[in-house]
Amino acid sequence: MSGEPVDVDSGAVWPADAEDVTEAIVANWFVREGGRVEEGDTIAEIQIEKVSVDVPAPATGEVVEVLVGENEEFERGDALARIRPS
Amino acid sequence: MAESEAAQEATGRELTMSRAMVEAIASEMEADEEVFVMGEDVADYGGIFDSTQGLLEQFGRDRIMDVPISETGFIGAAVGAAQAGMRPIAELMFVDFFGVTMDQIYNQMAKNTYMSGGSVSVPMVLMTAVGGTYNDAAQHSQTLYGTFAHLPGMKVVVPSNAYDAKGLMHRAIRADDPVVYMFHKRLMGLGWMPAPEGPKTPVPEDDYEIEFGEAAVKREGEDVTVVTLGLHVHRALEAAEDLADDVDVEVIDLRTLVPLDTEAVLDSVRKTGKLVVVDEDYRSFGVTGEIVARVAEEALDDLAAVERVAIPDVPIPYARPLEREVQPGVEDISRAVWAVHE
Repeated sequence: MSGEPVDVDSGAVWPADAEDVTEAIVANWFVREGGRVEEGDTIAEIQIEKVSVDVPAPATGEVVEVLVGENEEFERGDALARIRPS
Repeated sequence: MAESEAAQEATGRELTMSRAMVEAIASEMEADEEVFVMGEDVADYGGIFDSTQGLLEQFGRDRIMDVPISETGFIGAAVGAAQAGMRPIAELMFVDFFGVTMDQIYNQMAKNTYMSGGSVSVPMVLMTAVGGTYNDAAQHSQTLYGTFAHLPGMKVVVPSNAYDAKGLMHRAIRADDPVVYMFHKRLMGLGWMPAPEGPKTPVPEDDYEIEFGEAAVKREGEDVTVVTLGLHVHRALEAAEDLADDVDVEVIDLRTLVPLDTEAVLDSVRKTGKLVVVDEDYRSFGVTGEIVARVAEEALDDLAAVERVAIPDVPIPYARPLEREVQPGVEDISRAVWAVHE
């Protein structure tokens, strides 16, 4: 089964105690474009005001696109990558 | 490198060095209830360089223990626990703090097997953060590789990437003798201290060991041998890449200092005849001198030229431009390679 790509939503992992923060950076990717992931695998680590947050894969499938590279900034709610479920 | 490439095929995921270390520790703790961790800020904080991140949640406070700020006290406790049959992992937060606890490390941990006539073993891991490049000044930036490798009775391990970090940690925890596991802060993959390209690698989910005393040829070359370890493996590889059109550089990652893979170094020098040793420790009485001495003893006729690149014999400065000046950089390595090549 394969469907439309799913966004890895940065807003979904935003900590409750960082509600007033709007920007963060990607510290690490643990998978490259083309890599396979299982739903729930930690695929990236983001830093919100020096606090590290692990980002789980929202679906099982292939990482078709990484949208924010390591050490790049993004805004809360931006998609970090796209996963094609399969 | 071949091992890492094999790992790449086996798994799509890559890990930072800190996560690879934690994965090995967690796996050993699941397999053997005698394995535990003690150190400053290893529990709630997860290690100030993430070396124990997440272990408290998984194993609880009986097995992941924050300790008071007494290195003598808790490293001594680890030595005792090891002699009593447990397998402690004690973290010395910065290797620079070894001074206050050197009796426990060197006279107890390293010697008790000998002093007891073999009636006790000391199967513990002393893991510790090393290295500079982030302006933390003279008391928090040293590697002290040579200091620990000089003193007999303990293995000394220095991983340069995630794949090696996991395999060496498994090996260290299973070893029946004390192991000093020195991890470079700049290689850990911390958000606030970005690592260079290289230390984050594919890492198999299954357990595996890397034997002590086996250096890794990270890049093959015919003209010049560069021997190094830790962070400077990546700087040497960058220098080799920069020079690739003119000089064919071989880069050797020692991976462990005790035991030392002298044969790997000799094999390479017999081929190239030119040796550059790069070390993030002080120049005098250290790793660079030891490597050069071993080559001189065993392969003098093959040796046409030698250069050492290391920290000059001064306390490491705080100021950014001054620290950059004393830290062996990519250009320093390139210059040394040119010097022996010409």
